[in-house]
Amino acid sequence: MMLLENMRSAAQSFGGNKLRTLLSITGIVIGVASVVAITALGQSASANIKNRIAQAGLQTIFVTAGRHSGAEVERLFKDDLTGELREIDGIRDALAYDQRSFQMRAGQNDASDSVATASPAFTDIFSLSMTEGRFISAADMSDRSPVAVLGSELATSLFPDGDALGSTIRLLGEAPQILRVVGILTQRSSSMGVSFDSTLFVPRTTYLARIARSTRVGSFVLYADASRDVVETAKRVETFFTARTGSSTAVRVMSPSTIADTMSGVTETLSAFLTGIAAVSLLVGGIGIMNIMLVSVTERTKEIGVRKALGATPAAIRSQFLVEAVALTATGGALGVGLGLGVSRIVTLALGWGFAVSLGAITLALGVAAATGVFFGLYPASRAARLDPVIALAYE
Amino acid sequence: MSGGIAVGTGVVKDDGILVRVRGLERIYKVGDEEVHALRGIDLDIHRGEMIAIMGPSGSGKSTLMHIVGCLDSPTAGILEIDGEDVSRLGEVRLASIRNRRIGFVFQSFNLLPRLTILENVALPLMYAGVPLKARRARAKELLESVGLGDRLSHNPNQLSGGQRQRAAIARALANDPAILLADEPTGALDSLTGQAILDSVKVINARGTTVILVTHDPDVAASCHRAVRLKDGLLEGAA
Repeated sequence: MMLLENMRSAAQSFGGNKLRTLLSITGIVIGVASVVAITALGQSASANIKNRIAQAGLQTIFVTAGRHSGAEVERLFKDDLTGELREIDGIRDALAYDQRSFQMRAGQNDASDSVATASPAFTDIFSLSMTEGRFISAADMSDRSPVAVLGSELATSLFPDGDALGSTIRLLGEAPQILRVVGILTQRSSSMGVSFDSTLFVPRTTYLARIARSTRVGSFVLYADASRDVVETAKRVETFFTARTGSSTAVRVMSPSTIADTMSGVTETLSAFLTGIAAVSLLVGGIGIMNIMLVSVTERTKEIGVRKALGATPAAIRSQFLVEAVALTATGGALGVGLGLGVSRIVTLALGWGFAVSLGAITLALGVAAATGVFFGLYPASRAARLDPVIALAYE
Repeated sequence: MSGGIAVGTGVVKDDGILVRVRGLERIYKVGDEEVHALRGIDLDIHRGEMIAIMGPSGSGKSTLMHIVGCLDSPTAGILEIDGEDVSRLGEVRLASIRNRRIGFVFQSFNLLPRLTILENVALPLMYAGVPLKARRARAKELLESVGLGDRLSHNPNQLSGGQRQRAAIARALANDPAILLADEPTGALDSLTGQAILDSVKVINARGTTVILVTHDPDVAASCHRAVRLKDGLLEGAA
């Protein structure tokens, strides 16, 4: 019934002392702003990490042998395992993969970089695109052609004049090879330890026939069905290898999806922790509110006496001051939400992240601010309500 | 008003008494010492009466006014208003009695400075639970009746002393109380303005409201039907 009057009375009371009102809600403003900014930044960071990892290929799953893999793994890691791997639920394609470091030379220029095996399917799996020429073709595979596709950086260091296409590269070492450059890749971020920009790709068949020292496969690259949960598919791959090797540690299964999950889990834990710390400043803000409300009750003792003489019950006085306290913290909360969103927007702009806002966090922060008003306003309001009318009226 | 009918000894009587005070005592504790502000007061105030309570400061007249005004409760003795013993009531009931049966007028007006005079006059109506629209209409009517109809949205500090006291009287009458309790209502005013205020109090009394005036001004007391005098917590002339 008196809510409207109480709110107007609160506004009049604040308006009479704007600076003091503003200072008293600073704690709440900062507390709420911190909570909002931290949750917004946490979400943005998490989304940003996921986005980056997604670029690396959320559909890929890598299988490598663990450090102390036994004879079982040695037997298992052969090219023909890919047939079995393709049978795993959620796997669209499976490729054997090797990479080795080589000394390589083109004309007068030397480089020491990785040589990696590839097949035509790579362009899809890693969404590769070409600056010049073509990628490894099916014909290269069946002919075991001595051809090479260069990462962008490697192309620049071996062929500073940009005449890579059609030129030859010599792999030095125990099994020297001469390879003809048929294509150059567009620059691309690395994925799961494959730094595309500084790698020389050869057809897997060529590698096996001319370069490989053993038939033991270094690792497998699996291509998961995007319409399925890739993390679950990765788990099935793990189960497959555990069953085949009899050990859950002999083989490591990694996927960007799994990593993305772990990373956002970490970000979420971190931002929950930081939010907790920010919530402490809300508590401190609440104590500031209690302080200013106690001052306000003392200053307005006479007013309370007059209101009581006119028939205000203790409950009416209490609700008047409670509404004031809640109005204070709610105002602080609203300002804090604005400030927090503003700050996190600026930060995400500066870092070039996407901006993610959590409505839940904003609602929660506002709710907590209002609840802080009730909690810390209750004592001053009760003190006002308990004032003896005679003493209050005599107060000057 | 109900007729003040009390059923006591089996005889139905309407004695016309609005406020009945019997053996009223009030003891304050100041540190370890007890201060006897009232030592046993007997007083009857009749319906429609205009009575002055006089006495030097420290005589207990303020204490008596506070108890009769239901702002304070006696340590011993009985206070009846309209036949109802109010001397042992709780805070909430006392607030309701102050709100509906008693109108206060203070020496220093006690208007709330941040509210307009319309809002000030509407306050007792708000505490009585009157809806906003009816409150505003009634407050406006009351202010018009004291000649402040053109100053409704003024703040108290924009008004002269006499205007403030008239607004305060309008506020005291908001819930049409049985008793108007005025504590030195002319004390802060010049004699001409004071006389005008006293005249309007007389008009209010003539319309049926019982008026209790606390004053130390004999001229003010002379314009009442009768005056009682307190000294050292007792009524003078009483045994």
